[in-house]
Amino acid sequence: MSAERAHPNYVAIWIWLVVLMIAGVAASYLPLGKGAVVALIFFIAFTKAVLVAMNYMHLRFENALIYAIAIVPIVLVLAMTLILFPDFVFHR
Amino acid sequence: MKTPAATQAMITRLPPGKIGVWWFLASEVMVFGGLIGTYILTRLGSAGWSAEAAHLSAPMAAINTFILLTSSMTMVMAFAAVEKNNDRGLRTFLLLTIFLGLAFLGIKAYEYSSHLRAGFMPSTGSFWSFYYTMTGLHALHVLAGIIVNLILFVMARGPLVNGHRVELAGLYWHFVDVVWIFLFPLLYLT
Repeated sequence: MSAERAHPNYVAIWIWLVVLMIAGVAASYLPLGKGAVVALIFFIAFTKAVLVAMNYMHLRFENALIYAIAIVPIVLVLAMTLILFPDFVFHR
Repeated sequence: MKTPAATQAMITRLPPGKIGVWWFLASEVMVFGGLIGTYILTRLGSAGWSAEAAHLSAPMAAINTFILLTSSMTMVMAFAAVEKNNDRGLRTFLLLTIFLGLAFLGIKAYEYSSHLRAGFMPSTGSFWSFYYTMTGLHALHVLAGIIVNLILFVMARGPLVNGHRVELAGLYWHFVDVVWIFLFPLLYLT
């Protein structure tokens, strides 16, 4: 914690988060293919998560060690899901 | 093995509490990530889940998303108040965060009761098992966050000697928010 650290504009980030939330809900009503809608919805969710992590969790001010602790489990979860993907989805 | 000097420098620059909380959050990523990954795979491998998901109330979940996003802002404002030695601001924003967390749980409880009244139990089917497990585990995390914030609120009545704990509690609270950011579309919008 350092008193002199520059802050992100927390209210502006909140406005972006709410706008993206509304965009995500609106996207679910778009007359597009199911795949395109799902991709759009999760792209929006991912953007919101990055906004929270970088600004509210102050990840943008942290060093490589914190990034490593944050990213490694995400990579592991993604790897586990992708490795199991063929078994679950193509093997009924 | 000797720790490289650069790594040692990084560790010593960081408060141990912060490394501890991030380490804890890493384990939480594995808990929720494993659950969410299994949900996605099982859903992709089965038919008829979208029809089950249609019974959920997207507007109510959207209100809850709004509440949790707002609570993240009030939580980070509490931390900003600590940095400015503004103890009144700290107490106000902590109280707002607690109130918003309780509002989230209240809406969630209302949702649960309406599902149960409609006959959708955890044993009704795979979708409902996942729904109750994922949202239930998340709700327990919200409850834990509320308790932590309550403790901080009580402590904030005295001198602000433990202000850094607000940042650590905030990391946890924002993580719980991030989990909901993914649960909302996974369960309610697809």
